[in-house]
Amino acid sequence: MSDPRRYRQEESCAAEENRNKGSSRWSQCRKRGADGVVRGSQKEAELTNNTDRKGNRPHRPNSFTTPESEGPVSRIRDWGDEVEFDEMRTNVRRDMQRYRRRILAGEFTQRERKTSSGSSDSKDSRDSPAPGEFETDESVLMRRQKQINYGKNTLAYDRYIKEVPKHLRQPGVHPRTPNKFKKYSRRSWDQQIKLWKVKLHAWDPPTEEGNDLQAADQIDLGEIMDLDFDMEASVDELQYPKTSSSVSSSLPQDSCTGTPSKMMKMDETEIA
Amino acid sequence: MEDSSKEDYKIHSFDMETQKLLKTALKDPGSVDLEKVSSVIVDQSLKDQMFSKEAGRICFTIVQAESKQNGGSVFRRNLLNRLQQEFKAREETRKRSTQEWVCLVSFICNIFDYLKVNNMPMMALVHPVYDCLFRLAQPDALKNEEEVDCLVLQLHRIGEQLEKMNLQRMDELFCLLRDGFLLQDGLSSLGRLLLLEILEFRAGSWMLSETAQKYYYSEVTD
Repeated sequence: MSDPRRYRQEESCAAEENRNKGSSRWSQCRKRGADGVVRGSQKEAELTNNTDRKGNRPHRPNSFTTPESEGPVSRIRDWGDEVEFDEMRTNVRRDMQRYRRRILAGEFTQRERKTSSGSSDSKDSRDSPAPGEFETDESVLMRRQKQINYGKNTLAYDRYIKEVPKHLRQPGVHPRTPNKFKKYSRRSWDQQIKLWKVKLHAWDPPTEEGNDLQAADQIDLGEIMDLDFDMEASVDELQYPKTSSSVSSSLPQDSCTGTPSKMMKMDETEIA
Repeated sequence: MEDSSKEDYKIHSFDMETQKLLKTALKDPGSVDLEKVSSVIVDQSLKDQMFSKEAGRICFTIVQAESKQNGGSVFRRNLLNRLQQEFKAREETRKRSTQEWVCLVSFICNIFDYLKVNNMPMMALVHPVYDCLFRLAQPDALKNEEEVDCLVLQLHRIGEQLEKMNLQRMDELFCLLRDGFLLQDGLSSLGRLLLLEILEFRAGSWMLSETAQKYYYSEVTD
């Protein structure tokens, strides 16, 4: 049962968002004695027996790496998901090549700001990582990219990038996309993402009167600088209405549910 | 302008209402039911031989349009999953109607050809496409001119790309074709001609020499 490969899977998906935190594989194991008979009550035994027979494992990761595979392998068998997964993977690989080239070219030591033509996630990096000292694990990069995509697929982000061009962005004031290539612990990264999304809330589209007043407290420079742009943004929305989820109550603490999002490229239920 | 775009995507075999739906999907994908659009396209591809060979283009355009408009990929996902269903049921389809089977293969290959992701063919389709071609190279299929014709058409169009994605399977496929050409009874002379041409085509690195081109494709005056 203690398959080393499976153990690694558990590790790598320890804190997947929205996972069913119900009975884990380990707790199921604990319920069994050495002879395989389930300990505890009869009813409990039936339940765990049933779930085991059905092969219900709530913590099954959506992708895993085996020694034979070239990288994370998607468990999902349908073509739609496979293609999305591949697309994200090739994007991540391409980003990695670009990033590697930029490091080797010594770009980061000069803090050059160029207009971005592609992924701008890893553009701004204060300290230059030594070549070879950045995150290269594909499963990590893909997970991080997915989190970044959630943040970018929001109306707030769209409004933000339209209103504040890169060369006008001030560190500390304006949200900056975390650099997925830098080495961070899992917790540190998740926290950065959370803070980034909270900051992005400042650019949530205005909803009703009451909410505007509340939101005004949190919006600092963004609102003041961009009164003109607000008009433009609303015209844009009329012409190209983005699908938004139900309107938020604009409380930024709730970073995951607050921001109205346009149609997501990837659902949370899909591949990792 | 309207008419020429109709021409480009070869949608004149659809009824007027559906044509309208498709045209809207091309311009404003967010405003239509993309699942319905993909369904309509797949259905038609299985019936209409001409469309099955050209549907890839309209699909690609819709995918692009949706991605540009709202970053979504609803259409692509629905299209691929529906295609996967049809692929799984291909043996029954072949039994029921050779025409439908041949349309299915043409359509899958056309999608493989046009729906590139980051300028690369979709990995997920490589084996399914090969599976279809292998099926067409079986003895019972080689007897059928319709199926041989389909097989060589696909190899002309996507053979080179397919080979790059998986050389080994292409080698195996051509072993079957050589065997079929040499050993199989019941092949019509047209069938044999088609096979010989594709064997030469691949041997020439997916090109026909000038003399071969003349042999196969110029009018023979006797």
